[in-house]
Amino acid sequence: MTAAAPASRRGWIAVASWLAAMAIGTVVIVQTRFSADLSAFLPAAPDARQRALVEQLKTGIAARTLLIGIRGGDSAERAAASRALAESLRASPEFEQVLNGDFTAFAAVGRWVFEHRYLLSPAVDARRFSAEGLREAIDDTLSLLGTPAGARVKPLLERDPTGEAQRIAENALTSGGPRTQDGIWVSRDGERALLMTQSRAEGSDLDAQAQVLAAVRRAFAAVAAPGLELQLSGAPKFAVDSRAQIQAETKALALAGTVLMGTLLLITFASLRALAAAMLPVASGIVAGVAAVSLVFGSVHGATLGFGTTLIGEAVDYAIYYLIQARGGGTAAAGAAAPGPGWRRWVHESWPTVRLGMLTSICGFLALAFSGFPGLAQLGVFSIAGLVAAGYTTRHVLPVWMPDGTSGLGLRRQLGHGAAVLVRTLPRVRHLFTALGVASLVFLVWRHDTLWQTELSSLSPVSAPDLALDAQLRDELLAGDERTMVAVTGADVQAVLQSVEAVSARLDALVQAGQLVGYDAISRWVPSLVTQQRRRDALPDATTLQANLALATQGGSLNAKRLGPFVQDVQRARQMPPIEPGSLVGTPVATLVSALLVRGADGGSTALLPVVRTPGPAGDGAQAAVEQALHGIAAAQAFNVADELRRLYSHYIREAQGQALLGALGVVLLMAAWLRSLPRLLAVCKPLALAVLLTMAGFAAFGVPLGILHLVGLLLVVAVGSNYSLFLDWLRHQGSGDEDTLASLLLANLTIVLSFGLIAASAIPALAAIGRVVAPGALLALLLSAAYAAPRVQAVPDSA
Amino acid sequence: MRVDRRQACLTVMALAAAAPARAAFGFDELMATLAERKSGEARFAEERFVSGLDQTLNYTGTLSFSAPDRLERHTLTPRRESFIVEGNQLTLQRGERVRRLALDSVPELAAMVAAMRGTLSGDASVLRRHFRASVDGRAARWTLTLVPLDQRLLGVVRLLRIDGMQADVRVVELQLADGDRSVTTIEPVAPKARSATP
Repeated sequence: MTAAAPASRRGWIAVASWLAAMAIGTVVIVQTRFSADLSAFLPAAPDARQRALVEQLKTGIAARTLLIGIRGGDSAERAAASRALAESLRASPEFEQVLNGDFTAFAAVGRWVFEHRYLLSPAVDARRFSAEGLREAIDDTLSLLGTPAGARVKPLLERDPTGEAQRIAENALTSGGPRTQDGIWVSRDGERALLMTQSRAEGSDLDAQAQVLAAVRRAFAAVAAPGLELQLSGAPKFAVDSRAQIQAETKALALAGTVLMGTLLLITFASLRALAAAMLPVASGIVAGVAAVSLVFGSVHGATLGFGTTLIGEAVDYAIYYLIQARGGGTAAAGAAAPGPGWRRWVHESWPTVRLGMLTSICGFLALAFSGFPGLAQLGVFSIAGLVAAGYTTRHVLPVWMPDGTSGLGLRRQLGHGAAVLVRTLPRVRHLFTALGVASLVFLVWRHDTLWQTELSSLSPVSAPDLALDAQLRDELLAGDERTMVAVTGADVQAVLQSVEAVSARLDALVQAGQLVGYDAISRWVPSLVTQQRRRDALPDATTLQANLALATQGGSLNAKRLGPFVQDVQRARQMPPIEPGSLVGTPVATLVSALLVRGADGGSTALLPVVRTPGPAGDGAQAAVEQALHGIAAAQAFNVADELRRLYSHYIREAQGQALLGALGVVLLMAAWLRSLPRLLAVCKPLALAVLLTMAGFAAFGVPLGILHLVGLLLVVAVGSNYSLFLDWLRHQGSGDEDTLASLLLANLTIVLSFGLIAASAIPALAAIGRVVAPGALLALLLSAAYAAPRVQAVPDSA
Repeated sequence: MRVDRRQACLTVMALAAAAPARAAFGFDELMATLAERKSGEARFAEERFVSGLDQTLNYTGTLSFSAPDRLERHTLTPRRESFIVEGNQLTLQRGERVRRLALDSVPELAAMVAAMRGTLSGDASVLRRHFRASVDGRAARWTLTLVPLDQRLLGVVRLLRIDGMQADVRVVELQLADGDRSVTTIEPVAPKARSATP
């Protein structure tokens, strides 16, 4: 190091503690777990129902379900590919279930259901096996004969004359499902073959999900005719893609940002040493930020790192201020010649302003740290820790290393001249800015209805075309409304099953009334033991049954003599062991059941009943009707996934708005406490408020609704912009237009605008949103600060 | 001999005159005739011949159609049952129980409904999409035979034979692949007669 000039022991102690902190930070980071699932984009929901919902989205069946489309070629080629793909995937151990509409593959399920029909059929009760009940049931079954549907019934007539298998199948066939053509599912327009898979691996296991996706692509490539195109969608695809994208983009952005900034700094300072010094606070900030997030949250989300690169923008400013301002003399350029005073003067004159700027930024990020979205909270903590570390490094480490700032000249002088020109000319057009600001305000008030986003998807890292494909496939495969659910919870499986049966009885009424097309329930495949026992008790012994049958078939079309197999099957059912979830392992229905019953970690169980409401006006009140129907069944709750998410999102955007306003208020209070002058406070706040207004109006003018991340961007504009307006105000207060300080402001601004400009081009919507707000907003903040707070115009009083 | 020749001559002439007349009533003409009728109501009686049963199965009830795509069949005896299809939506009711299905999710059913709707509305393209269609007879007394194109459906349904007079469908015979058969006789109800008795 050049000199021990920056004083002494205190200076070195500061450097030593910085080194120690960095070492500890590095140790923490090495042990940090980095996550990349979608959880950062899902709110940590406030009430139990919403928590259950978010938990479902993270780890439920949806998180394991892939939606697959096959396009191109002709319908025969698509059908062949669908069959071959399904066959190949069913043979692979990664998949629990592969559906493509070809139910010949489910013959095993059919056999199992047929074997257990007297325990499963909701029609089985004592009356069903009386002479009268048997006659009605046999008449119903016979009414299918002589029609195309009879082909399925006729071979089973002797074993199942009461049509229990038919009855169970009718219930299971709820929504009618996708369009079927050539024996496989196709889209309504017939141009796309459709499949759906559920992986064995958990949705949160992204490595396994990546393998699942690869397996599907491999299998498709092996079987598909040329010209066919595979389309994949669903939560696992999004999660895996986002992870890859976040990883790739984070790296690319960090690299591009560093190169860009490095080039800019090199051109400006023409000194490698200055470049290294400028990067030191940035690097320290990143180490501190990652370590802090890791300590507070237990893991660091990949997206936080991506957002965190935005921090480079502000942290590098501190170094720029120091490197330039510590060198130039306030009034005497010769000051640079004398070693020592440079850093001292900087600490005395500029540091308070930089520190104030840092505190205002922290104020803003503090609002984020309390956000309900883990991703945003991580970003808040990351930024606060990072800024403090960068500030500390600038204040205490740089003076030891480069006590006189940087000696390199580069383009600094030109920058200074340019900034001086800006400061001289902009105040002349400030009335124009004021007029623009007023116009923006009017415009924003006029458009206030459409200003804010209400969709959670705006937070999602998934791109719009991918979401559109997902919506299409989901609509075709799941009738568009599989997302209404009833969740039934209980301490043990039998309690849950009994509650599900109670819920089913009430939902049946809604199906009859036409409000619901249908629903699915675990109790169709695994009735509660109580219900199974009741059904078993309803089955008569052979003698009674034969007597009743003789009466029931008297004078009818079906001769009772043919029904020996029926009597035998009923007798066998009376001896059958009960069906329990545990006894299904290895049976063909295990997969059906796994989607409908979820075992909790605490030993409790949750059953999910996906509900399909009637399309069109008939189903309009379905959600309310379902909620009404559940009244009195404490264990059951209904929710519509889409509505619930929308409600959550609007809750969080209101919360974020409140936090942003609090943050802004904190910034104003801090500056008021420092400036202790209302006119100066107004002069400092006005350009910031205008920058925010103009940016928002710009988004409104382009018809882009603002989401939570735009709000974060606006917060950053205030945080960064406050540095400019404070510095310019300070200069004005001193009465001198110091070109070096102006140069440092312009350079700091350029780095911010460039680094956020990079982010604005990101393919991750969330990152791009921040970049698109901050790049223009920060530029506006500097220009407006120059217009309103420049030294020359100090005599003119501010207009209200 | 002369007389015979003259008779032969007349016969040939008569045949020559009749031939174009018969050719003039084909599938397209039948469709045009049927398309004139926009709605209709009828009573039906269906008799099914099913192997293995001691007797035929008999059903009666009402049918109604209104263009373009609403078809209702209400069975009144021996047990009440209804089958209502509109667009792609099928509603079945038997006793207390109602089921609703998307028609195109059950292709065999979709084809059978297409046969009925296509015939009643005279929609040639709908019929040709699912069946090989042929027409015999005259406008006053015609027979439309529909043979499924789809191999799967052909495995269940051998053919449909529909007899009619002008725009009225009178008999629908369904022959299944296993030899079972159903014959439905249809008796139109004059719309005026109905509206006269509110």
